[in-house]
Amino acid sequence: MLEIKYVPTICPYCGVGCGINLVVRNGKIIGVEPYKRHPVNEGKVCPKGNFGYEFINREDRLKTPLIKENGEFREASWDEALDLVASKLKEVSSDDPNKIGFYACARSPNENIYITQKLARVACGTQNVDHCARICHGPTVAGLATTFGSGAMTNGFDSIKESDYIFCIGTNSMEAHPLFARKIIQARKKGAKVVVADPRFTPTAKIADEYVEFKTGTDVALINAMIKVIIDNNLQDKEFIEKRTRGYEELKKCTQKYTLEMASEITGIKEEVIKHLAIEYASADKAAIVYSLGITEHSHGADNVMSTANLAMLTGNIGREGTGVNPLRGQNNVQGACDMGALPTDYVGYRKVQDEKTTQWFNDYYSGYGYEVNLPAEPGLTLVEMMNAAHDGDLKVLYIHGEDPVLSDADIKHTKEALNNLEMLIVQECFLTDTAQCADVVLPAAGWGEQEGTFTNGERRVQCLHKAQEPPGDAWIDWKIMEEIAVRMGVPRPLFHYDSAEEIFDEIRQCAPIMAGMNRERLDTPEALHWPCLSEDDPCKPLMYEDSFKTPDGLGVFQVIEHTGPVETPDDEYPLILTTTRVLFHYHAAMTRRCETLSNEVKTGFIEINTKDAAERGIINNEVVRAFSRRGEIAVPARITDDIKPGIVNIPMHFAECAANVLTNSDSFDPKSKMVELKACAIQIEKFEDDFDIKKDIYNNGTDISIEAEDISTTTVRKEVI
Amino acid sequence: MYIAYSNDNEIRANGEYGGVVTTIMKHLLEEKIVDAVLCVKEGHDIYDAVPFLVTRPSDISLTSGSMHCGTLNMAKFIYKYLNGCRDMKIAVSCKPCDAMTINELIKKGKIIKDNIILIGVNCGGTLPPVKTMKMIEEIYELNPKDVVKEEISKGKLIIKTKDGEKAIAIDELEEKGWGRRENCRRCSLKIPYNADLGLGNWGVTGELAGKATFVEVFTDKGQKILDEVNDLIEIRKAESEEIKIRQKINEIMLSNSTEKKEKDYEGSTGDIIDVFHKYEDEFSKCMKCYGCREACPICFCEECCLESEGPEWIPGGYTPAPPLFHLTRMVHMVDSCTNCGQCSEVCPCEIPLSKIWSTVNNKIRKTYGYVPGFAGENRIPLTQYDTKTKKL
Repeated sequence: MLEIKYVPTICPYCGVGCGINLVVRNGKIIGVEPYKRHPVNEGKVCPKGNFGYEFINREDRLKTPLIKENGEFREASWDEALDLVASKLKEVSSDDPNKIGFYACARSPNENIYITQKLARVACGTQNVDHCARICHGPTVAGLATTFGSGAMTNGFDSIKESDYIFCIGTNSMEAHPLFARKIIQARKKGAKVVVADPRFTPTAKIADEYVEFKTGTDVALINAMIKVIIDNNLQDKEFIEKRTRGYEELKKCTQKYTLEMASEITGIKEEVIKHLAIEYASADKAAIVYSLGITEHSHGADNVMSTANLAMLTGNIGREGTGVNPLRGQNNVQGACDMGALPTDYVGYRKVQDEKTTQWFNDYYSGYGYEVNLPAEPGLTLVEMMNAAHDGDLKVLYIHGEDPVLSDADIKHTKEALNNLEMLIVQECFLTDTAQCADVVLPAAGWGEQEGTFTNGERRVQCLHKAQEPPGDAWIDWKIMEEIAVRMGVPRPLFHYDSAEEIFDEIRQCAPIMAGMNRERLDTPEALHWPCLSEDDPCKPLMYEDSFKTPDGLGVFQVIEHTGPVETPDDEYPLILTTTRVLFHYHAAMTRRCETLSNEVKTGFIEINTKDAAERGIINNEVVRAFSRRGEIAVPARITDDIKPGIVNIPMHFAECAANVLTNSDSFDPKSKMVELKACAIQIEKFEDDFDIKKDIYNNGTDISIEAEDISTTTVRKEVI
Repeated sequence: MYIAYSNDNEIRANGEYGGVVTTIMKHLLEEKIVDAVLCVKEGHDIYDAVPFLVTRPSDISLTSGSMHCGTLNMAKFIYKYLNGCRDMKIAVSCKPCDAMTINELIKKGKIIKDNIILIGVNCGGTLPPVKTMKMIEEIYELNPKDVVKEEISKGKLIIKTKDGEKAIAIDELEEKGWGRRENCRRCSLKIPYNADLGLGNWGVTGELAGKATFVEVFTDKGQKILDEVNDLIEIRKAESEEIKIRQKINEIMLSNSTEKKEKDYEGSTGDIIDVFHKYEDEFSKCMKCYGCREACPICFCEECCLESEGPEWIPGGYTPAPPLFHLTRMVHMVDSCTNCGQCSEVCPCEIPLSKIWSTVNNKIRKTYGYVPGFAGENRIPLTQYDTKTKKL
């Protein structure tokens, strides 16, 4: 008999964490319906929310383990694959645990991420565990922890509805965090002024009151000049500065040289506009800063982040509803991945590796049944460092849990060389992604909708997921796979055995004081719980820093920041600055490009180029052009528009056949957060002599994996050849 | 018109207003008159209404009575997930707007009339769940989690907890932006005259108040069902005083709606171009989520021209979606638009879609005299022609 039910769960795309109902007919997910009871989105979703489930029951889901032999994958039993992985991990970790690295999956539930870092630390004895926040909001975690003492959004999402003035810089919420953008729209309806600063006239800029165009990578100069204007006009919040902060005099001294003239020269913004922004921001009763990867994905990402914190503290715009520094986290569970200790410097709950006592606590906690854990109190390698170590031959085994660095890390050629240089690459995935194709062993994992667990959204709200269907074929839940590997490596089973995701969460509560109070009864509700949640009667309000910061002395710390600008600047050979973005209809590639509706909406990539720059090169709209940098070249259709500043071009990062990251620069570290500069590198564009066609329907039948994101010869085919 | 309650003590105690709907549904399943019954049940709590397809008579007890936060529209569910009941017979408990859209889909051949029984319930409007919880907290100063029941009576929204109740005039709430969904305030059908049977408590007074329901029969099918359950319910003819009270409630509700409509339609002729021009700023926020299309019960195409590439009406991937996006969708649904409000409710960009379509539909009503939502032979004006040919 026909059985139809709704299973309430959380959308697996961005960090807003919208609630949705999965429609399940006779045990299979067949659709999504509004979850109007959900406090974050009230039943409203973006295109990804409406159609992003379509990938789940695709034919090309991985259903059995794969082992690569002589360059070809063959199917293998779980026993064989697990034995192979475990013995290699055992062999290398016995020699030197630092030769093993782990990438955790920021799309996966907290419980899987926690077990990934546990496998790294407890079974392999390495602190080399990281995830994509490194090249996303790593600078936020580093920058805000330095200034405020905690590296997360300072306010809840709904706080923005109370704002009088909303300053969005380097954030395109209408595309990247659409249901947060809704709250900006609501704020504006209530009378808030919305200002967007961005090199592109984005869909978010189009719903704003004012738009300010400026040069990529000049955020620090802009904000320092705003700070100077505020101080010169005596608009700073003296009481807040005195009672709640330190380092003001140093900030004042440093910013004095950022005159309007100098800042205007650097940023390309008119002097009077900078002054206008500063005065309006400082004069508003409740002013909020919203930012995303436009701030963080720079070689000076942490500096950008700290500049926003300086601006907020200077004007007392912190610790109140309607104010704050609001970084919008990217992935659905990237906040959780940081919280779970998938960081080489932090255990779960941001407990520090470098602190001897803390490391001892974890060594004791994880030891037992005759098994001794002996982790060093030294941070491991970051994601970017692991890839570089692999490139240099210093890392032998990399275990990638659900990430796709080939597509998403800077400089694809470098990434592929690094992966090929490993003795073993293990990829745990739902699909044979660009990265999985490089693997030696592929472990098929259960996906979203196929397991219980929790996601933590960008406002630190830990929300329960619910299982709607069984995983396909012989795919297993991630933490089960990892249990089997740990046991085969000689870890006593009780240290890795759980009967449910809830049991794992209970262990997380024991290890992370910020989540200690999250009992299931309170957690498994639509409202769920925000951390910090120190006890079971903690009200868990989303607003942070009402009375004091989380720094040791409770004071916010002003930082002296100097403008440095992008590492790679345009020159005669490479005169254009490339910035990379996401589009509304995709989220990376593995999932959304396998969703028919989303894939049909935006089939392939494009390069946004200003009308003037296009005319200079004789490029017409939709023409496939050659884009090249010092790293490589791609063929990509041109999208000519006035919505981007002349001299700047933009490529969305989702499309392997014209992959932006062939061009980006991996050699551009942020010393403070190890971020690479994904938002700025120098490139050139030119016309092809012959017509080119992009091979774009690569996921249509679910089997075409012949395209590799590498260089122009594999990403395009000449028309005459067809 | 009758007043009735269930004979079954358990159903009477648990079901709402005497449990007649429950009795009917259970009987239809037990006697295999239908294969399934489509009702609503509580998901997480009383603010979370979830459609519930019941195939086992014993599961009927899991359905809920009236949920004021039940803002679902069942028509889409029937079309999308039950294949328009092409291969099954169902009974559905429906608000007037559910019945309206089901009737439109029957006329458009998307739901099979012979396979569906409409058990209507009267409705004074529904409340958006999250906002309502906030209202209960801020305005009623109650913890939403303590609420056991909400009720609309004598122009007031009554919120009941186990410790008592608090009532505030709906007008007062709605002036401050709380209260019923915006489309409900415009609604011109409160008693489901367009269903097979119409039930609900309006008009039940005295000691039966809250313990029995009005029953009105609107179709032969409805009469047959009522005859079927005759032995399972206590039923008597309604007194003229009771009928008067029922009508009075209905009239007050409708006159409020008329006022709201006049206000909403003000400043526009209702002509398409005029409306699109007036709401240009609103439409220009559209992020092209397709949510309105997904939620609209009248949007049913398997292949949608909004996504078509040949011809390419709306280029893929560009936001905000061009005006043609909503113009196209409007042309396809507006003559059948029942003001059910689903489009506005799912719109992430806060475009007042339901109000806009209602404005255009109002013009169509005035021009063609067509009122969507009722069974019958009258043509849907932009969908069909009437022929003037005399058949000899």
